[in-house]
Amino acid sequence: MQTDERLPQLTAVEKPRWYRDVRVLRVIIQVVIVGGVVAIAAFFIGNMIANMQRLGISLGLDYLTQPAEFTIPGSDFERTGTRLEAVLVGVGNTFRIAIAGIFFATILGVLLGIARLSKNWLVSTGARLYVEFFRNIPVLVIIIFAYLVVFLEPRIFPRFENAREIGPFIIYVRGVFFPWYESQANFFPWVVIMLAGVVAGVFVSRWRERVSEKTGASALSLLWGLGTFLAFAVIGFFALGGPASLTIPGFEGQVVVGGIRVSPEYAALLISLVIYTASHIAEITRGSIQAVSKGQQEAATALALSSAQRIRYVILPQAFRVAIPPLANQYLNLTKNSSLAVAIAYYEVTKVTTDIIGNGGPAPQSFLVLMIIYLIISLIIAALSNVVNRRLALVER
Amino acid sequence: MKRLRVLFVLVVAVAMAATACSSTDESLLDTVQSNDSVKCGTRDALPGFAVLGDDGNYTGFDSDFCRVIAAAVLGDAAKVEFVPLETSARFTALQSGEIDVLVRNTTWTGTRDGSEGASFQTVTFYDGQGMMVASDSAYTSVADMDGTTICLVEGTTTQINVVTIFEFEGISLTEALSFADTDLVQEAFIAGRCDGWTSDSSQLVALRSTYPDSAGGPEALTILPDIFSKEPLAPAVTDGDTKWGSAVNWAVMATIQAEEWGITSANVDSFLTSENPDIVRFLGGAEDFDPGLGLPADFAYQVIKQVGNYGEIWEANITPIGIARAGTVNDLWINGGLLYSAPYK
Repeated sequence: MQTDERLPQLTAVEKPRWYRDVRVLRVIIQVVIVGGVVAIAAFFIGNMIANMQRLGISLGLDYLTQPAEFTIPGSDFERTGTRLEAVLVGVGNTFRIAIAGIFFATILGVLLGIARLSKNWLVSTGARLYVEFFRNIPVLVIIIFAYLVVFLEPRIFPRFENAREIGPFIIYVRGVFFPWYESQANFFPWVVIMLAGVVAGVFVSRWRERVSEKTGASALSLLWGLGTFLAFAVIGFFALGGPASLTIPGFEGQVVVGGIRVSPEYAALLISLVIYTASHIAEITRGSIQAVSKGQQEAATALALSSAQRIRYVILPQAFRVAIPPLANQYLNLTKNSSLAVAIAYYEVTKVTTDIIGNGGPAPQSFLVLMIIYLIISLIIAALSNVVNRRLALVER
Repeated sequence: MKRLRVLFVLVVAVAMAATACSSTDESLLDTVQSNDSVKCGTRDALPGFAVLGDDGNYTGFDSDFCRVIAAAVLGDAAKVEFVPLETSARFTALQSGEIDVLVRNTTWTGTRDGSEGASFQTVTFYDGQGMMVASDSAYTSVADMDGTTICLVEGTTTQINVVTIFEFEGISLTEALSFADTDLVQEAFIAGRCDGWTSDSSQLVALRSTYPDSAGGPEALTILPDIFSKEPLAPAVTDGDTKWGSAVNWAVMATIQAEEWGITSANVDSFLTSENPDIVRFLGGAEDFDPGLGLPADFAYQVIKQVGNYGEIWEANITPIGIARAGTVNDLWINGGLLYSAPYK
């Protein structure tokens, strides 16, 4: 038995040799293993550094301050910008895909998950086929298929000469053009006013909830909140004298001017990632709803809640708690899968890194920087999900 | 506890010191000779330069020069191990030792010589970058292509050059899309995603010749007359290994020297007994001559007998895809071109 007291004095015969003394052995094993791991790592890193020095490849991060020499489609990045700026543009594009992808994939996935549990045979089988199909196909295949077969298909996205104009939208092979706003003077104050409107809207909707509880009148909190926000936005717009104007896409020679463009690469990547991740989120949703005990459903019915109320107030909140860790996992997967954009020339951070390497940047440092960037993004998503998890955790009695 | 911590630090320090140094002074020439095989970095689908046939054999200009190196160093042109590489990974493969030599229509530039740690040998093909457009478009030169989208392959000098030429002409480039390989570029071009397709002229000729008939065949494409960069294509080895670099260099130059003297694979045996002592020494007939390159004495003979001289290699691979040679920079220096071999003496 191990105690912390001093062992009684043993005679020379009874005291175990050091190589049979368990305490010493335990320490020795740990030292040997740590030493071994460090030795292996030092061997590989030392080997790489020695060979890079032999070849004359630079070892530091100075390559980031040199001009990139290439342009990035879809941004104003000049070829004289530094490689670091190029990487930051890439990170911005990764966020664009990740945030939009997470948003749409969650909506689609939750709807599909609920559909799978529907009593309607057609709906549940349809959802099941969707999930079973898309879960089993590699994402890269979906991305390349979406790009080559859908977005480069002349019958859907015609060439410039036959570009489609549907109302204010323009659709052709270079992308889909939407009307968009263009900021004029006083744009930033208007944004501030709108943010104030959001805060005011939240307060108003909470006030309506309290009023409804006291008097029993229907709350309509969402309507009131939205109305407050819109009031702020519209009054602010006219008070500041039109801080933004609408631009409609139109042809000017061979290019389209105005509006905002969704490039076929972005659209193909986003749709593929949403379709793929939604199939996984559907399974998570289904599992988490089925994890809520049947007793809860029966109690809800006994309290005369309609099935929509039952789902909204009893089942989904409990299912949501169970679903958060796997959901966060899927969000991480979506973010990392966005690196497959390398295949279709969408300039998120992995594609920018491979272009930097292709134009003379040192490969080991570039990939190290890339890995650190993904690590930081993943840690942010994981931290956010942990915060949500902790706030919603069921307090056990 | 404090003693244990000191012990830890000591162990870590010893481990790192013991494994810190790991360089070898052996040249790749010795490694290649002991492995009895040359690992040659190549590609698998560029007509005229390197094509992997159905029988598993590589045919092409670059593939033949891999065989030239094997014939010179190992005495047997068949002892080549072809390693197909993606464009963006070719220099990493060379730096890491995955291949011994890179013969993959690679341009010799300052950055590659310097920070990419490559060392280029004799230029085998003097090329330039060009632009290919659809025949029914209105473009007659690069200066017309204001506001267009250009497609290219990533990891090449093409990307930088096209941005520079557009700046030089004072026109704006809407997008330069770089794809991972030429198949995707071709798909995007067929769909009309890009207005122009840019690459080295030799590659454009080769790619045009294989343009699918369902999209209009080769007549549907026009290569614009502008050449807007210098692209000297040369075999590359790693920096810091001059012995191997010289061996590759002289193997390649042997083909150029042979053509200068009119030695072909058919008549090389008759030149063994030539009256010209330079030719005899070149073919390995001078008993006491050893320039210290580490190559076998008859390396030039083996190269010409097993593969052929430069003209034969060009005739077999480049002439079928329709690139002219006579009177251009790719002709011998005696005909006004740039191909010149140093004397073997």
